[in-house]
Amino acid sequence: MNSATQRIRPWMVVAIAAITLLLTYEAWLRFAPPADWSDEELSQLASLWIGNLPDLPPDTSNAVADNPAAAAFGQQLFFDARLSANGMISCSTCHQPIRHFTDGLPKGIALGESRRNTPSIVGTAYSPWLYWDGRKDSQWAQALAPLEDPNEHGSSRLHVLSIIASVSDYRQAYQELFGAAPNLMVQEEVDRAFANIGKAIAAYERLLLPGAARFDQYVEHVLAGGDHLHQELFSKEEIRGLGLFIGEARCTECHNGPLLTNNEFHNTGPLSAPGELPDRGRIDGVREVLADPFNCLGLFNDDPEPSCAELRYVRTGVELIAATRTPSLRNLKNTAPFQRKGQTATLTAVLDHYNKAPLAMIGHNETTELNLRGWELRALEAFLHTLGAPIAADEKWLHPPEKGGKGVRSNLDGENHGD
Amino acid sequence: MRRFGLLLFLVLSPVAFGHGGVVEEDDLCVIKIGYLRAHFKIYVPAERQHQEFCEDIPVRGDSVFVMEYQHDGLSTAEIDFRIIRNVTGKGNFARLSDIEAIADLDAITIRYEPATVVPDVYTLLQSFEEDGEYIGIISARQPDTQVVYTAVFPFEVGYTGLGYWPWIIAAVFALQSIYWFMSRRARQSTNTLLLLAAAALFTPYSIADADESWASDSGFFTVTFRSELQPLTINRIHSWILHVEDSNGNPITNAEITVNGGMPEHNHGLPTAPQVIATNKDGDYKVEGMRFHMRGYWEIRIQIDVGDRHDSVMIPLDL
Repeated sequence: MNSATQRIRPWMVVAIAAITLLLTYEAWLRFAPPADWSDEELSQLASLWIGNLPDLPPDTSNAVADNPAAAAFGQQLFFDARLSANGMISCSTCHQPIRHFTDGLPKGIALGESRRNTPSIVGTAYSPWLYWDGRKDSQWAQALAPLEDPNEHGSSRLHVLSIIASVSDYRQAYQELFGAAPNLMVQEEVDRAFANIGKAIAAYERLLLPGAARFDQYVEHVLAGGDHLHQELFSKEEIRGLGLFIGEARCTECHNGPLLTNNEFHNTGPLSAPGELPDRGRIDGVREVLADPFNCLGLFNDDPEPSCAELRYVRTGVELIAATRTPSLRNLKNTAPFQRKGQTATLTAVLDHYNKAPLAMIGHNETTELNLRGWELRALEAFLHTLGAPIAADEKWLHPPEKGGKGVRSNLDGENHGD
Repeated sequence: MRRFGLLLFLVLSPVAFGHGGVVEEDDLCVIKIGYLRAHFKIYVPAERQHQEFCEDIPVRGDSVFVMEYQHDGLSTAEIDFRIIRNVTGKGNFARLSDIEAIADLDAITIRYEPATVVPDVYTLLQSFEEDGEYIGIISARQPDTQVVYTAVFPFEVGYTGLGYWPWIIAAVFALQSIYWFMSRRARQSTNTLLLLAAAALFTPYSIADADESWASDSGFFTVTFRSELQPLTINRIHSWILHVEDSNGNPITNAEITVNGGMPEHNHGLPTAPQVIATNKDGDYKVEGMRFHMRGYWEIRIQIDVGDRHDSVMIPLDL
């Protein structure tokens, strides 16, 4: 009796009580049903809901942006490997419709290896900047770059234009959309015709928009006053993950709006890819876009009075070192591996990176440590998987155009007579 | 105790000796190329991920050398980078004069990166295949004066000539980590306190409407604004009309207006660089290029300069 009382000291009781309390608290955090959304949270959810995606902004720099014939022509070009140096590479080599217009590789592989991870095209019509470093400022200007990149199509504007001239369908489609064929001896005419090719491809790419995901159905349900614990639609873990996404995990600071991206540039301190220098990102991209002859302020903008506000008032400076464009989080399942060089294979590893927020190799990591628990990271990951959805475009745009099908004016089979 | 004494000696030694042009100052590894300075660090990403090394590299393999310029002069200078085997016999005490005394530098050069202008930050990837002593030599040629400054820094790969060095380094590193960890913790808690204080100070502002006016800090001017984008939302570029009056309600028509802004809680600025593109005789100024890329609390600071009156006004926004 005496020895027993000696063994149990008051501090032990306090310690055991404290530990029990802590464990109960942790268990409650983890297993209690998530609380109903607050008004602020509902407003956050509404801001991410695809139903609030604004109408596609007009692209006044591209006169054929919303022309269905241009989209059909663009679709043919998008899937046409003849535009490449070896006749084997098309835009769809890396931007594969079945993979949400990406390729599942760390970095794109065409003639050679691309500089960075292949981003999806879906929803890029909303972005003022294209590429991870934003070195292009329109979909049509972007579409031109791979054609002449030695590691991608490895082609040239003259080769591309000679294909247009030699394939009767293409010649006809070009002339109906853009007028007379260019004089290939005059550089400016060559450049303008090349820009037109990009504009046709962009008219096609503009049609590729994200569809409603399970997440959007859930938000629609709760915004309509439905039960926040609608288990058939969204599991408790997914609800917890969503709560973290718009709250403690601070994801919506960059991944905001219905596209889950602010299309801005941020340095989040990724590790350099094996065997490569740290990516300089936007600091070089901003110089390139300002010098690009196909930019908004260039000769080939179809708008007689272009505003070009994004380009004119673009920000420069050292904060842009190693910054890259926030990618959309819609359809992560199809867009792995992750980060600018595809150097991170899994979402778990990406979340772990943001949780730790290591110092950046170059520049400054804008994010800060999150110190989330393991189960919280798993909940976030579960939530991120609810963002997948089919592309909201007519099915005919999601595969190579059928020969002689709608939008193709004459026979593709007879095209080689003139070659 | 004796070990601790040794430790102390080693902790202090980089300051005492310095490895040539690279020194540690206030926890920051700095390279001095003449009067030009840069934050210097080496990474071994495959082996040590984000861990920074100041001079000595613990393992062979791909190493990334980084110089983040602290001086604009380096952004325009022609920089060349050479790595040689350290054959001076002076180890960490090798100096520029020892290198100048070497007859055939190319014979012992394992990497030479010719002079180029690299703006903002310089990086170099070098794969070390052998452990050993090396010397880095970085030169910067000033474009205007053509003066060349050189920094020399001896370093080791794989920490050769070991003895009980690994233990000491591990101990130093542990101490350093504890220090970092504690200083980081300290910083974090002050941040939280600051945030709490800020939250207490700032009652939430609703979006300022057109009729609300804002007095400048010294009271010279009164500013109202109207956003072309209604309601104000994120991720859309748009313009603002600013209206500037003096304290008596007379329009100010010839002001030099500079627009800046950011999110104080997130320590970043606007994603764009807005500018005044038009003005009229009613004291209206059209500001083009406004865009906000996060929800939350923003502050827009408008600097107004008219003759000898210089003043600024802050417009708080809650998006």
